[in-house]
Amino acid sequence: MNLQTHMAVNRITDQIWEIPAAEKPGMLVPARIYATEKILTSMDSGVFEQITNVACLPGIRRYALCMPDGHWGYGFPIGGGAAFDRDTGVISPGGVGYDVNCGMRLIRTDLTLADVAPRLELLMTELFRRVPAGVGSRGFVRANRHEFDEVMRKGARWCIERGYGWHHDLERIEEQGGIPGADPSKISDYAVERGIHQLGTLGSGNHYLEVQVAADDRIFDRPAAAALGITGRDQIVVMVHCGSRGFGHQVASDYLTVFEKAMRRHGITVKDQQLACAPFRSQEGQDYFSAMNCAANSAFANRQVITHQIREVFSAVFGTSAESLGMEIVYDVAHNIAKVERYPEGELVVHRKGSTRAFGPGRPELPEIYRRTGQPVICGGSMETGSYVLVGTDRAMQETFGSTMHGSGRTMSRAQAKRSVRGEQLQQQMARRGIIVKAVSMSGLAEEAGFAYKNISDVVEAVDLAGITKKVAELRPIGNIKG
Amino acid sequence: MAATFRFLEDIALADSAFEARGSTPSELFRAAAQAVIVTMVAPETVAPRLTKSILRQDRSLQNLLFDWLADIVYLKDAEGLVFRDVTCTVGQNHAGGDWQLDGTLTGEPIDPARHELRADVKAITKHRYEARQDYGGWIATVVMDI
Repeated sequence: MNLQTHMAVNRITDQIWEIPAAEKPGMLVPARIYATEKILTSMDSGVFEQITNVACLPGIRRYALCMPDGHWGYGFPIGGGAAFDRDTGVISPGGVGYDVNCGMRLIRTDLTLADVAPRLELLMTELFRRVPAGVGSRGFVRANRHEFDEVMRKGARWCIERGYGWHHDLERIEEQGGIPGADPSKISDYAVERGIHQLGTLGSGNHYLEVQVAADDRIFDRPAAAALGITGRDQIVVMVHCGSRGFGHQVASDYLTVFEKAMRRHGITVKDQQLACAPFRSQEGQDYFSAMNCAANSAFANRQVITHQIREVFSAVFGTSAESLGMEIVYDVAHNIAKVERYPEGELVVHRKGSTRAFGPGRPELPEIYRRTGQPVICGGSMETGSYVLVGTDRAMQETFGSTMHGSGRTMSRAQAKRSVRGEQLQQQMARRGIIVKAVSMSGLAEEAGFAYKNISDVVEAVDLAGITKKVAELRPIGNIKG
Repeated sequence: MAATFRFLEDIALADSAFEARGSTPSELFRAAAQAVIVTMVAPETVAPRLTKSILRQDRSLQNLLFDWLADIVYLKDAEGLVFRDVTCTVGQNHAGGDWQLDGTLTGEPIDPARHELRADVKAITKHRYEARQDYGGWIATVVMDI
């Protein structure tokens, strides 16, 4: 097997690979990669280097984990996960990512492709108009500093109190859309100034809003799909991928600087400056945790405002209320976050960086509607290939601290993608295949071409075979908005 | 050596990286700023309608460059500005003293109708970040989170 590493990578099962702790000085636990052999051989060298760096962090438990969508990231690889002892372990912005609570939201409808196809152009035009995207975009919500503090504390609840959503939306959002313990006093003015105008904006890069179809023949688990409100029969759903925008990035940048100094004080050394960390119980660790929760809550609020705009647009285009169109949130998941969760070892600080929580059936954190099925997991593919809905499993709880993949994972640089196709050309090609794309930046569009990503079906197959998530439905894009 | 930059493909697959060079620190800072600017917008589509003055000082030239580039990202988000031109003077009052930056960014508020917008730079990162004196002048490597 030809891998991008000289380290030993041992097969545990056909979907689990282990780098022993002896492979790098300082590793405290082995590193485990979830992947098929095909995916493993395509992984870049950064994955192996970075996941073994993570395995060196103080207080890590069991394994440093990487999912099949893993690729090089800052500090942790994207697709990385690790759990640290709450009392003796660390917290690291490099294990959360710059875009705190970057995540996915899926909204169902009662509409079918036959209903939407004749009005798809108008629908996408209106969505593009009402959901700002691209460089420096600003949302319609005007919040002063006091109100933005409330956004940080309350997250999606703040939006619903102002009429941007339905009360029962909250139960369909991870952490009910608001993580306790968010403390705005731990946030710099600089971060607030970057984020205060951005509520309800998509951003750019790989963020998007997508109108998708759930076809009957792409439902893999019909009872689970029904529980999630996915009926098949060419049902229309809407997927949103975005996070905490400039605000979350500034929080991460601010605390990386704080942690560089904190590490010296706490006598911690790391293999990579981007793994800067502090003991979770330290003042710096607690300050970052509070600040990160502020950013996470702002991301929940961001996706909630976008949801409000989506419902308004559908209502206007189809001439009836969003309620009568059945536009319920299926679920909203964070895939860049650190959280305190209980496992047999006790309370652990679980970092997921490009990795989704995938709690199995019965977990008390899940809303009643999903207690039997397990937590919905929403995984976005490239804008050309489609996306998936899965559900969490008991096995994920046992093996991966309730974590799984988040998307397809890039395999090609942005520059190479732009050399391979022009944005306008890609837009026309996709239109011929029945996918309407509205993009602020044509070069940005080219960077996100489907061939720049792994095949998401291969990635989903890997986690499904490993049993850490079970696939429920594949969703095919028909309309996409990009920054 | 003039102020130049080139994008690097083998550092950050999902993001964007560049190497900037200049024969002086001032040229290095100008080249690096231009790299950040052109990542976000085609500068020729931006009109020179306003200027933002940035004065900073730091013991470390490397930290000073980092903050200067982060300022461009901040102004894009907080004030909704993109830029066309950059001028800057970087130097020390005396050998071993603090580095001082006197920079000016010229541009205007973002207008998607007129500006050719590109990628939204969300952070200047510390990954493989360095700014140092090289044999032929000054050089920096910067990875931007997109």
